[in-house]
Amino acid sequence: MSYCVNCGVELHASARKCPLCNTPVWHLDMLEQMAHAVPPFPEEKGQVEAVKRKDLGLLLSIVVLATAVTCGLLNFLTFRRDLWSLAVIGACVVLWVIMIPAVIYVKQSVYVSLLLDGAAVGLYLYMLTYLTGSAGWFWGLGLYIVLLVTGLLEVFTFCVRKLPRSFLTVALYVFTGAGLLCVGLELLIRNYLGGALRLGWSAVVLTVCGILDVAIITMLSRRRLRDAVRKRLHF
Amino acid sequence: MGKEHIKGRENMERADQAGHGQAEHKVEHRKRGERKEWYKLDLSAIVYPTLQRRDFSSVYRLSVVLKEEILPWVLQQALDMTLPRFPTYKAAIRKGLFWRYLEPNNRPGPFVQEDVKNPCQPMHFKANHRYLVRVYYYGRRISLEAHHSLGDGTGGMCVLQTLTATYLRLLGHEDITNEGFVLDIRKTPDPGELEDAYMRYANAKVCPPRQEEKAYRVRGTGEPFYTLNIIDGIMSVSRVMEVAKKYNATITEYLNAVLLQALLTKQQKERRVRLRPVKIAMPVNLRRFFPSITLRNFITMIYPGVDPRLGDYTFEEIVEQVHNYMRYHINEKQLRGDITTNAATQRNPFIRVVPLFIKDFAVRTFYTRVQDRNSSAGLTNMGALRVPAGMQPYIERFDIYMGQPFSRRTNCAIISFQDTLTINFASSIVEADVERYFFRKLVKDGIHVKIETNRE
Repeated sequence: MSYCVNCGVELHASARKCPLCNTPVWHLDMLEQMAHAVPPFPEEKGQVEAVKRKDLGLLLSIVVLATAVTCGLLNFLTFRRDLWSLAVIGACVVLWVIMIPAVIYVKQSVYVSLLLDGAAVGLYLYMLTYLTGSAGWFWGLGLYIVLLVTGLLEVFTFCVRKLPRSFLTVALYVFTGAGLLCVGLELLIRNYLGGALRLGWSAVVLTVCGILDVAIITMLSRRRLRDAVRKRLHF
Repeated sequence: MGKEHIKGRENMERADQAGHGQAEHKVEHRKRGERKEWYKLDLSAIVYPTLQRRDFSSVYRLSVVLKEEILPWVLQQALDMTLPRFPTYKAAIRKGLFWRYLEPNNRPGPFVQEDVKNPCQPMHFKANHRYLVRVYYYGRRISLEAHHSLGDGTGGMCVLQTLTATYLRLLGHEDITNEGFVLDIRKTPDPGELEDAYMRYANAKVCPPRQEEKAYRVRGTGEPFYTLNIIDGIMSVSRVMEVAKKYNATITEYLNAVLLQALLTKQQKERRVRLRPVKIAMPVNLRRFFPSITLRNFITMIYPGVDPRLGDYTFEEIVEQVHNYMRYHINEKQLRGDITTNAATQRNPFIRVVPLFIKDFAVRTFYTRVQDRNSSAGLTNMGALRVPAGMQPYIERFDIYMGQPFSRRTNCAIISFQDTLTINFASSIVEADVERYFFRKLVKDGIHVKIETNRE
C-alpha cells in the first residue's frame, strides 16, 4: 500500500498520484501491483441517454406532408394559373430534411445531415426553375453556389469537431471560411455573367480575413499573447 | 445522527403496525375497467424537476460493494423482479397543467448497465424509456441512481437493499429474511409507503420564518460538461467515534465541524475582501421524529454554520457551535414548524391555480437566487446501516453520493456499515482543496483514511 507523503492518507493500489494534492506516487516496490490493480472506478465515460422524439417527429412529418399535399391539390384543382405549389412543396422538403437529425433520426452523422441539407436546397432551387421559366440560372450558378456552401460547411464542421477547438481557433475557421466563400461567390458570378475570372470586391474581404487570420495564428502560437487576450476579452 | 436511519426504519415499522399510512395516490377509473394509478409529487419532489437543466438533474447514487463479482444477467433478473414492488420508482414523470405527477411506467427496462466513470449524469425525463432510475454494475459493486423526485435516500436504500437481497437469493443464498430496508417483493406495496408524509405532519399553528443569508461560495475552476469528481475516504467507525467523543460530539457533529473548518480555511486562503458566513446544507431524516413508512421524500434541511466575521474560531468552538445548533434545531417541534412553513406555499389556493410554467419560473428563480446561495456545501449522513443477518456476510460496504451539485461546489455524503465509514465527496470543480483540508484534519486527529477516486 502507498501513502501520500503530504496528506498522510492511504492511496488505492492503482493510484499514480494523490487525488487531494496531486503528489505523485513513487513506490518502486509496487510498480507491478500498480499496473495490475483494478481501479475503483471504470475508465469509460458515460453518455447521457438521448431523448427519443419519435412522436414529435411523426407529428411534424404529418404537418409538413399535409401542407405539401394540400398546396399541391389546391394548385392542381383550384388555382391553376402556374405551378406556385412547387415553392411550398420544396420548402416543406427542405424543412423535413433539416429536422431529420433533430427529431427523426438523432444518431445521423452531422456530415450526412449537411450533405442531405445541401441536396434538399439544390432540389428546391431546381423546383423553382419551373416557376421562373428557365433553368439556365440553376445550372449555371445556383447549383455551384449550393455545392460551394455545402463543401465549405462540411470542411468547417470537420475542423471544429476534429481539430483543437477554442474561441480563437473557431474564429480562425470562420474568417478563413468567410474569405473563401466570398472569393468563390465572386468567381462563380463572374463565370455565369461571362466576365473575366478575376478578383474584385472579394479581394477586399479576403485581405481583411487574411489579416485577421494572421493575427489569430500569431496569438495561437504565442502563449503569453494568447493569455493576455483571453484575460481581457473573457465573457 | 449516527443512528437516525435505524430509528427511522423502526419508526416506519411502528407506523406501519399502527396503520397510520394514508396514501396520496389516486386511482383513475378507465373506460375498460382498468385502474391506472398516479401519484402526486411530494412537497420536496415538486422542486427537483424545476431545477432540471441540460447539464443538471437532481440525481443521487447509492452503491453496495459485495464480496464477489456481480453477474449482470442475474442482476437484471433481480431488478425485473424487484422494481414492480416499488411503484413510485417504476414510474415516469409527467406534466399536468398545474403540477407534475408520477404515473406507472410499463415500458421495457430499466436495464442494468456497466458502470461509468462519471456517475450521476443528467437524467432527462423523456429518455431511458422515461425511467428515472439507473442500475450499474462494476466489479463487485452495484449502484442505483435515482432522481430525487421519486424519493429520498431512505427510499432509495430500500430499493437497493431489496434488489441486493433478491440478487443474492437468485444466487442461492436463500436464508435472507425480509426486514429493515429489505421488503418482501411478493407483497403489494403498503399505501403508507407511497404517501406524501409531509402533509400529514405539516400542522403547526404558526409558520416560523426562514432565516436566509448569503453564505460563502467556493471558488474554483468548473469541470467540463458532465464531469463529476469523486473522492471517497474509507475509515473505521470506531476510530471516528473515539475521536468525536474527545470533542464531546457525535460523528455527524464532528464531521460537520471538520467540513466547516475546511471551508473556513478555503475562504481564508482565497483572501477575500468581504468574508461571508460558512454554512452547510444538511438534510434531516424526518422519519426519526414523525412515524412514517413512506419511501418518498421525507426530509428537511438545516444549515449549521459559523460566521468568520465575528472572529476566528478554534476547531473546538466550531464543534460546540454545531453541537448547540443541532440540539436546538433537530427536535420534533422545530422540524414541524419548518415543514409547515414549506407546506404553506403548496397549500395556498392562489398559488395552486397558477399554471405550471409560471410556478417553474418562480421556483427556479427562488432556488437560484436564494436557496442555493444559502449554503457553502452539502453534507448528508445516512448513519449506520443495518442489513438482515443473512445478507451481512456478502456485503463489504455501502457508498452514497449526493450527486452533481446545482452550482459549483462540493457535496459530502457519509454512510457506515459495520466498522466501515465511507465519506464520499462529489464535486464539479477541478480543485480538491476542500477535500484536502477535510481529510488532512482527520489524519491529524489520528484517523486512518484510505482514499479512492475517479479523478485522473
